Amino acid sequence: MSGFSIYLIFFLIIALNYGIMGLGLNLQWGYTGLFNAGVVGFYAIGAYGAAILVGPDRDYLIGGFDLPWPVAILGGMALAALAALIVGLATLRLREEYLAIATFGIALSLQLVALNFESLTGGANGLVGLPRPLFHLFEDSTTYNLFFLGLVIVILGIVWFGLELAVRSPWGRLLRAVREDESAARSLGKNITLIRLQVFVLGCSLIGLSGGLYVAFIGFVSPTDFLPLLTFQVWAMLIVGGSGNNAGAVLGAVVVWALWTMSGLAISRVAPVELQSQAGAIQVMLIGLLIVAMLIFRPRGLIGEKTGGS
Amino acid sequence: MKKTLLALALSVSALMFGAHNAAAQDCEINVGSVLSITGSMAAIGSSIGNAAALAVDHFNEAGGVAGCKVNFVLRDDQGTPNVGVDAAKTLVEIEKAPLLLGAIQSGISLPILTSVSVPSKVTQISCCSSAPSFTALSEEGGTDGYFFRTLPTDKPQAVVLASIAAQKGYKRIAIIYVNSDYGNSLAKNFQEAAEGMGVEVVNSVAYNQEQASYRAEVNAALQGDPDSLFLVAFPADGATAAREWISFGGSQNMLLSNALRADEFVESVGAKFLTKALGIDNAQTEGDSVEAFNAAWKEKYGEDPNGPGLHVMYDAAAVGLLAMEQAGKPDGTAIRDEVRKVTGGDGEIVFPGVDGFKQAKALIADGKAVKYVGATGPITFDANGDVTGPYLIWGVSEDGELTVEDKWDMTRVSELMAKTEK
Repeated sequence: MSGFSIYLIFFLIIALNYGIMGLGLNLQWGYTGLFNAGVVGFYAIGAYGAAILVGPDRDYLIGGFDLPWPVAILGGMALAALAALIVGLATLRLREEYLAIATFGIALSLQLVALNFESLTGGANGLVGLPRPLFHLFEDSTTYNLFFLGLVIVILGIVWFGLELAVRSPWGRLLRAVREDESAARSLGKNITLIRLQVFVLGCSLIGLSGGLYVAFIGFVSPTDFLPLLTFQVWAMLIVGGSGNNAGAVLGAVVVWALWTMSGLAISRVAPVELQSQAGAIQVMLIGLLIVAMLIFRPRGLIGEKTGGS
Repeated sequence: MKKTLLALALSVSALMFGAHNAAAQDCEINVGSVLSITGSMAAIGSSIGNAAALAVDHFNEAGGVAGCKVNFVLRDDQGTPNVGVDAAKTLVEIEKAPLLLGAIQSGISLPILTSVSVPSKVTQISCCSSAPSFTALSEEGGTDGYFFRTLPTDKPQAVVLASIAAQKGYKRIAIIYVNSDYGNSLAKNFQEAAEGMGVEVVNSVAYNQEQASYRAEVNAALQGDPDSLFLVAFPADGATAAREWISFGGSQNMLLSNALRADEFVESVGAKFLTKALGIDNAQTEGDSVEAFNAAWKEKYGEDPNGPGLHVMYDAAAVGLLAMEQAGKPDGTAIRDEVRKVTGGDGEIVFPGVDGFKQAKALIADGKAVKYVGATGPITFDANGDVTGPYLIWGVSEDGELTVEDKWDMTRVSELMAKTEK
């Protein structure tokens, strides 16, 4: 297998995992209009939840339950859902921009908790030595990555299929009603707060699932993984791909992540060695430029929401 | 629109996969590096990259490595692990680099190690990641020996400082430390060592980076009337904390961590408050091998190599490339196995620079042993890929100059360590 295809497998694992996160955010923003600016916080809960459940027992840590991976990832999801329930009950009465500020603050606090709650999260050193699921069954890392890519695709497929069913159901139509005109939906006797809470919890548990998968693949977790920038990246993915469309959310994840990473590869190929230390800045500008250009030419995203209702 | 997109995609892929073919020679080896050129460590990332590039240039001038020309390929991690891991994977798979240098932050080096270097059997040498997690992971067998770092670990540094606190007669010391892997482990090791030497640690307070004020932390540290302070910080935040410490009546008996050895720190605190302070640093400041590096740097970049990470990064690159020369092939596992052969042992000593590498290549060609003594002096990796280095104790003069007060060579450090282990 050529070097590029080996890399491509690796790239797709990460990108499609962001796709799962994008689907969670799309359910919240694209379908229901909930401005979740704390994506990275729930991603962190899913990731740390899984890492603590799966990690080996250590004297200096509270966690380390040595549980099998599927249990750990589901546990991480459940913790993210629980956190979303608590956050949701407290904040979902807030209108869009206030919800955004509240969730953003919560994500920042969660990162600080991860940094400071040493006996649970390992603090700044993170949690090391996490086993990678089924790694011993494979002879080399490339076949393992191929297996992991398959796993991510299957999980993404299940999430996708479930969400497509959900948004086409009467419940899904209700989401759009809440997004478009809350008062009208309320006047029809719908419990808006309950709907918003359901969507928030479901979306956040998908974001948590993505966090758990990330840890399973990388085998390490530390607070550096959960900088606020990640929230912005996922939002860029959703907007570029097309919010309100599940295919758009996944496509956006792949396209934006490709721009983000492969622009660096392209620059390192063309820039002479002496200028490489400046090339990083060019890359960041290029990413911004491409995202802006895409929004100018495709304001509804690459694949926007289908108009005309369902 | 579709046509434009397609054309764009084609031209980008042409750039990515065509550019190198045109320049292809008989034989080239890529050496990859992942550093923070942008992001929170951007201020130091570029020049650290220059240090590695300098080592690669020296090898190319000396005739290449394993019979090939070496290309240095630097990638930016933007200060985030996900981008860094991806960059490392492209370096290993697409550029076929058998050797990765970096990253700066431990939170980026570690995921690169677990998800790229170890599975793909590539040797990774970091200049700057000081977290104890690498040692822990290695002891559990999680690194397969593929990880090395040229930066001395925190523990000896903490023990040396603790011995100074004891010798100075400090009885009750407070610690204020930056809440990062670096600060955490230095503070913890210091506390352990100090208490073993009869210095009571009355408070140990963490602070989070880039805040406007550290009054709350300083106040907490002042509780219990400490007679001295150990400050573990980076220059900007450290200056804020030190100023507040002094203005709240804290003692001027201060011990300072290595990252504070910067003119910036002294200027913003004020030299007159720092004359009683003592700091530590782990770069060897003199010796022929260090001079050789300093001179080569000045010749290339026109200034003295002042700044964190330069000496250690040059050594990271030099050790990796010498090991590759010794192995005779660009293979990650072979490089891993030869690293200790070209650094420890009783081989003939070679220095940094073109002449040193020429000499090393000739010795290796004759089948003779080589011992690289680098920009940070002699380098001996232990079983976990960690090094113990010599230290210097620095102070600040009345007029704000950084002075060297004392030196700890490796024998003295090892003796002290052996004494405290008991």
